[in-house]
Amino acid sequence: MNWDWQFTFEVVVPRLLAVVPVTIQATVLSFLLALVLGLALMLLRISPLRVISIPAGEIIEFIRGTPLLVQLFFLFFLLPEIGIVLPPLTTGIVGLGIYNAALCAEVYRAGILNVPAGQWEAAKALNLSACRTYRDIIIPQSLPPIVPALGNYFIGIFKETPLLSFLAVAELMHASKLIGSEYYRFTEAVTVAGVFFLVMSLAAAALVRFAEGRIRGRILH
Amino acid sequence: MTQPKIKFDRVTKRYGPLTVLNQICLDIDPGELVTIIGPSGSGKTTVLRVLMTLESIDDGVIYIDGEPFNKMRAGGALAPASNAHIRRLRARIGMVFQNFNLFPHMSALDNCIEAPIHSLGLARGEAVNRADELLDMVGLAGLRSRYPSQLSGGQQQRVAIARALAMQPEILLFDEPTSALDPEMVGEVLQVIRDLASAHSYTMLLVTHQMGFAREVSDRVCFFDAGQFVEQGPPQELLGSPKNERARQFLSKVLEAR
Repeated sequence: MNWDWQFTFEVVVPRLLAVVPVTIQATVLSFLLALVLGLALMLLRISPLRVISIPAGEIIEFIRGTPLLVQLFFLFFLLPEIGIVLPPLTTGIVGLGIYNAALCAEVYRAGILNVPAGQWEAAKALNLSACRTYRDIIIPQSLPPIVPALGNYFIGIFKETPLLSFLAVAELMHASKLIGSEYYRFTEAVTVAGVFFLVMSLAAAALVRFAEGRIRGRILH
Repeated sequence: MTQPKIKFDRVTKRYGPLTVLNQICLDIDPGELVTIIGPSGSGKTTVLRVLMTLESIDDGVIYIDGEPFNKMRAGGALAPASNAHIRRLRARIGMVFQNFNLFPHMSALDNCIEAPIHSLGLARGEAVNRADELLDMVGLAGLRSRYPSQLSGGQQQRVAIARALAMQPEILLFDEPTSALDPEMVGEVLQVIRDLASAHSYTMLLVTHQMGFAREVSDRVCFFDAGQFVEQGPPQELLGSPKNERARQFLSKVLEAR
């Protein structure tokens, strides 16, 4: 194995740096979509109406029970068949978002079930509306245990973004494969991509710990 | 004859095969303080819980001020109550729980203004003023910005009482308000309830094991056992010389233990 530092710094690093924003964009947007869609799925899941809660549960199981790559291909190749043509990056964000929404929904649900029954009863005795009860009483108390879990999914999504290279999204992994096949040198391209991922996921983990501390500080006293 | 403030008309509650409330009937007059005593697990707490709508009932009707509560009048008949109907009448009832159930992420003050603002629709300033008055009344004026975890059990229960009062209820339910307290804190909570009973016109329903307190403050004491009100009467009479055999046994055990 021979490592070419000049090639690394003149070709690999600049070209990979140029696509870092795509990876970050895909991660952040997918995560936001997962947070919002996951909340919606969870609310459907815990609906007292069985005609709503049962299908919602089945959808969550279906999404969790099939590989992400299969879902991405499914969206990528089937959406155009029904007339929906999205750019690859958008398709990737939607796919990552939906998959992780199903995971987030279960995290939310566990957080909500963790709030003692007495809190619901006190809210009811004070005649608070269902909406207010969730907003002011239940959700704030369910946050401390779910924030670390959601943070893990954030980092998980980040590490899943290389799957988007299968959709020809110009993210880190895709760029490193291109460099490799252009110059017939994969060692530097793949290694540098790996280092980039490591640095960014360490930064993301620090960010998650910071957010966790902030939320704990605000909610637990 | 005055209209009862609360009326239980053959109310039945079952948990699976277990009948917790068996066709109970009870009329409570406006301003009356009724204490329910009875063995643990007899279902006396359930009487309060169905009245607060924390539990649904399987049969019978509860009336508030003569108006059906768990049902509503539709034409000549009684139909299942709508959410709006239940919320309208539920606004007249406040409840104090055995385990306080304060909101742990809110200060004492915020606990007392949350519902007045969002449920009664009071302006924040007014809600704060009234909450301060109530916290002062229960002897916690200086502790408004403390969180529940920074308060003793007795203080938490007094915040919970202020929180219930902040909703301006006409009916107050106390579910074993001192059972979760250390003995030295029981007195301060009972004193607040005593003050409420003497100085205000609330209709109060109290479940307790404090027999001395029941005798002192109650207008009427009801002995509840095996899903029914077995005997009721003025406190001296029921606690002094109960006619019912089970009531006699229960009271002799309770009084022995003291």
